[in-house]
Amino acid sequence: MPSLYVHVPFCRRKCNYCAFFSIPYAKAEVSSYLRGIKREIGLRLQEAEGGISSLFLGGGTPTVLSREELECLLDSLELFAFQAGAEKTVEANPGTLDSGKLDLLLSYGFNRISLGIQSFDNDLLKKIGRIHSAQDVYHSIKLIRQAGFENINLDLMFGLPGQTISAWQETLQRAVDQEPEHLSLYALTIEEGTPLARLAAEGEEGIVPDDDLQADMYELATDYLQKQGYLHYEISNFARPSFECRHNLSYWRSEEYMGLGPGAVSCLNGVRYKNWENIFKYSNITQKGSKPVDPLETEILTPKQLISEYIMLGLRTAEGIDPELFARKFGRQIQDIYGQLLLKYINKKIIYLEKGRIKLNPSYYFVANSIIRDFILE
Amino acid sequence: MAKASSKIRNFSIIAHIDHGKSTLADRLIEYTGTLSTRELKEQVLDSMDLERERGITIKLQAVRLLYQAKDGETYELNLIDTPGHVDFSYEVSRSLAACEGALLVVDAVQGIEAQTLANVYLALENDLEIIPVINKIDLPSADPERIKREIEEVIGLDASNAILASAKLGQGVEEILEAIVQRIPPPKGDDEKPLKALIFDSKFDSYKGAIPYIRVFDGKVSKGTNIKMMSSGKVFEVAEVGIFTPAMNIVEALHAGEVGYIAASIKNVSDTRVGDTITDADCPASEALPGYRKAVSMVFCGLYPVETSDYDKLRDALEKLQLNDASLMYEKETSAALGFGFRCGFLGLLHMEIVQERLEREFGLNIITTAPSVVYKVNTVNNEQLLIDNPALMPEEGQIASIEEPVVKATIFVPSEFVGAIMELNREKRGTFLTMDYITTSRVSLTYELPLSEIIYDYFDQLKSRTKGYASLDYELIGYKEAKLVKLDILINGEVVDALSFIVHKDRAYARGRKLVEKLRGLIPRQMFEVPIQAAIGSRVIARESIRALRKDVLAKCYGGDITRKRKLLEKQKEGKKRLKQVGSVEIPQEAFMAVLKMDD
Repeated sequence: MPSLYVHVPFCRRKCNYCAFFSIPYAKAEVSSYLRGIKREIGLRLQEAEGGISSLFLGGGTPTVLSREELECLLDSLELFAFQAGAEKTVEANPGTLDSGKLDLLLSYGFNRISLGIQSFDNDLLKKIGRIHSAQDVYHSIKLIRQAGFENINLDLMFGLPGQTISAWQETLQRAVDQEPEHLSLYALTIEEGTPLARLAAEGEEGIVPDDDLQADMYELATDYLQKQGYLHYEISNFARPSFECRHNLSYWRSEEYMGLGPGAVSCLNGVRYKNWENIFKYSNITQKGSKPVDPLETEILTPKQLISEYIMLGLRTAEGIDPELFARKFGRQIQDIYGQLLLKYINKKIIYLEKGRIKLNPSYYFVANSIIRDFILE
Repeated sequence: MAKASSKIRNFSIIAHIDHGKSTLADRLIEYTGTLSTRELKEQVLDSMDLERERGITIKLQAVRLLYQAKDGETYELNLIDTPGHVDFSYEVSRSLAACEGALLVVDAVQGIEAQTLANVYLALENDLEIIPVINKIDLPSADPERIKREIEEVIGLDASNAILASAKLGQGVEEILEAIVQRIPPPKGDDEKPLKALIFDSKFDSYKGAIPYIRVFDGKVSKGTNIKMMSSGKVFEVAEVGIFTPAMNIVEALHAGEVGYIAASIKNVSDTRVGDTITDADCPASEALPGYRKAVSMVFCGLYPVETSDYDKLRDALEKLQLNDASLMYEKETSAALGFGFRCGFLGLLHMEIVQERLEREFGLNIITTAPSVVYKVNTVNNEQLLIDNPALMPEEGQIASIEEPVVKATIFVPSEFVGAIMELNREKRGTFLTMDYITTSRVSLTYELPLSEIIYDYFDQLKSRTKGYASLDYELIGYKEAKLVKLDILINGEVVDALSFIVHKDRAYARGRKLVEKLRGLIPRQMFEVPIQAAIGSRVIARESIRALRKDVLAKCYGGDITRKRKLLEKQKEGKKRLKQVGSVEIPQEAFMAVLKMDD
């Protein structure tokens, strides 16, 4: 049973660090998008015959849609059979929410809201091109709670241009004061083609985050959040017990997923494919009755790639990798493939075994690539 | 049809880098119609990419020109190209031995350079007829009369009939060709005598095997001849003979006096030893031609594959390179840090860099070059003398009574305004002043005694940069001298990395050690743990730096849409890691091993 991701590629404006596919909100594009989604669902419904385990409505900014547009989208999605009690998350930005939209989402069974707040520092928010202020955040959270949502995630970023460690500490405290069930903390990464990358290329100082400072910020956050009762269950994710994001866990467990909407990625039956990252192409192709897949972005994963990804993703999580599950999935023992390497890292206490599971020592989360790289098969 | 040997002229061109040798060669090829202008790529003779890029000749080449002279006869002119860089004087001597004459090309502005002088002396030793050519007379500051005086005063050669030319404009080309015909004697050989051909170069062809380039002195050779290598006695049947136009072109036979190649399915590289004499197995010559002075390796370094499994590939590559480059020496070596590799001997540092680049480009190898070294004579307390060309093999301090290092006599030609700069450089390089002579009122010839190890270190680059490129250098080994030398070890994470050890003068040890550890700190990527880097003499640490532990190497976000991209990123990084050498538990990039060389950047 796959999870379902739906990409809503609209934003009021694009943030300076963002490399995701999104375009400015405009009525005409939204309506062709909504028609496209409806057609895509029609074309792909049978791919999820056994139902959907979880839903994630992401973007972009799904809540930039008007109430009516949102309702139209949610209606289309009702065609899928969701597993009972399925986690349904919607991403939202402060300043795009009102109680009408929140009630609507609740009535369609949404039970989790992920709010992109990034920082409580208004100067920083402006610098990275966010449309909201710290006050908007408080207001939005209040609205969400009043509407009755019991599972809120807050997205925060650290290593922002000019951000000091004490400013980061303050943002963290203020976030925790809001008592979110879940927190995602992302180290700012300068992505190609973004305004921040251009600034850095032009030589503006302080744009590219300092590795050591970011590492200090990461350590500070992990210590602090754990003391506050949050579980550090993935490199960038923290949750109150039993509030781990089930949708995202399914990626890290290498489970199947289906992505709808332009630019969305699916991975089903060992094939990963991506929809056209262009609203009109997406809409036109679905109108002709074809799946809107970009053939150049289709990848039939080899067993080696599947195994590499399984490790790459599994070691990101606190639950780690279950050797029995691995053996069942790939028909080979994990130690037959990685025996020496595992032993080397176990001896160095970088990887450890706990209740039969293989886990990356959290002290090495922030240098995880250095370890995971060795597990990539050629 | 074979030419009577009276219609053959074999010559080479002696010139300093940038004095226009390659351009002149192009003009000669063009003028004689050997290649049409269209076919003539810029500088035909420098055929290796590397040569074109660096604007230098490394490998000697040969080409046959057919020239109809003013006397109405057609002459066969064989041009054998010579390299101009000081590292390659050995190759020069090979090409000169195959000729009866040489063009001495001198820049009409810059005049004679040190290396030109050395090559002219080589030519005179070989009894070659020398035709002075003053090139670049089109330049506004050209002063041919001054240059003529220089040629007469410095070399002692009559320059009254020197040819004034501009290779760039094609001026003087006909005059040069006439002079080659009239002034250079025809080869003396006799077709009827038993075959005697000198191998002056060779090349490897994957289809035809090892191909010797030869100059026939006596007799003739054609398809079907059974040839015998006089040094080894091995016999081969000739499958093909040919000439260079400059591409290889099959002919019926090569006669006395001619230059060309032989293909005889010679599989073994070592069977076409440069300098050997080829004769006819069925009618052998009684004695061989005088060979060459053996190439003397001046600089040694270790070459190791980054990937241990490439060892065999590296060995094969060196074997093939040696066929094209007889001056390259190599033997097996092992390093505690780098595993199995080769200790190689080179004519000089440029030669070493070129071999390294050719191994990477032409053979696709990733190699690590260890710090270059000269050969030291180490006198032990037990009254033994050891020859050490690898710092790692240096005995312990307590075993050493004294160390002697090779010294050279260096001749530097420089405009007089730079004398101060030269003196300062030589003082820094531990040089001893020998002589200073005025070539003309504005140019000076200086001689110094210098340790060879200082010359191979960045001497040439320094010389050029401190004299705005005007100085020229030649040097010859003159012997050994005792010096206060120590072995400096580099420890990475507490372990001596033998490949980074080098021998240095005691007074420099501290500064070099300091500089090298700083440099290494910048070159070695951060690891999962803190890595100390130390420079030590024996057990005494003289400099220390440390590379702080790696703290961030992570993908912040990894969700459904990111997975492919992130996996590919890691795949790429893993591929890049192959260029790192695992030494103990530390991963070291290739450049770190070259850092010893480039400390004065």
